[in-house]
Amino acid sequence: MTKMDLSDDPSVVARLRNGDTAAFDHVYDAYRARVFAFLLRMSRNRTVAEDLLDETWLRLVRHARSLKPDTRLGPWLFTVARNLYWTHRRALLVQEAAVPELIGLWPSSVTWPSPFDLAVAGELERRVEAALSTLSPQQREVLLLVAYEELTPGDAAAVCGISPEAFRQRLSRARTSLAEKLDLRPTTAQATRDLAHEGR
Amino acid sequence: MREDEIDTDQLFRAFATLRMRDVHQRRANRLRNRCHAVLESQRRTAAGTGVLRDVSPRRLIGPAVAGLWCIVYVAEIIRRAAEVYGF
Repeated sequence: MTKMDLSDDPSVVARLRNGDTAAFDHVYDAYRARVFAFLLRMSRNRTVAEDLLDETWLRLVRHARSLKPDTRLGPWLFTVARNLYWTHRRALLVQEAAVPELIGLWPSSVTWPSPFDLAVAGELERRVEAALSTLSPQQREVLLLVAYEELTPGDAAAVCGISPEAFRQRLSRARTSLAEKLDLRPTTAQATRDLAHEGR
Repeated sequence: MREDEIDTDQLFRAFATLRMRDVHQRRANRLRNRCHAVLESQRRTAAGTGVLRDVSPRRLIGPAVAGLWCIVYVAEIIRRAAEVYGF
């Protein structure tokens, strides 16, 4: 678990609270692509991911002065990005429920991964991206936070706003779903562990 | 799943094949500049508030009295000029 150690230095937070642009650059360079990749894989729409990325960073600078000295910027950024995604998704669902007949008239949004993205990806990457894109957003987010962003389960549970136990169960179910999509059968030991967790 | 299971899970290791994604450089720079502008504006505001906070109220009494006297003086001149010209 090394990715989250970047920029979690308390001195960076202190400098950011004082409006230090160099400290901001340090955090921005460390986390911009990671937050964007997370938003892109969650929303599966580049335009939406770009807009949510902008808002995530603007929230950081607007709230910089009120950050607590012990704030860990990685989990903070992923929490904001995740909440923005779910707010956007809820708004979208409300719109679609309100005007279903109009939705078909809008130009279709560019989904991600596009056929081009899949074509240039390696075989395993292509399979994982394609399988991920078919999972529910709840399952996708737990897998991305833990397996790709390498957050600890405790940090990832806090980002998702659920208890560590609920997170472990969701992660286990997400893993099983992903394995099915990738047509990988879990080992007997893994299946037994999953069943034991589900039974609690 | 436990943390040690996550670290050794073969399926999770497949995530290492996923490429990092990023916004275009121009968009990234534009966002950086917007954020710098917000930070600098907040810093200026905080500095301004700090300057006012550091000034003792006693030091403001003199300029305030002088300013008030000037306003009364100018108002009186205008009143007398109006009288002379019959307004």
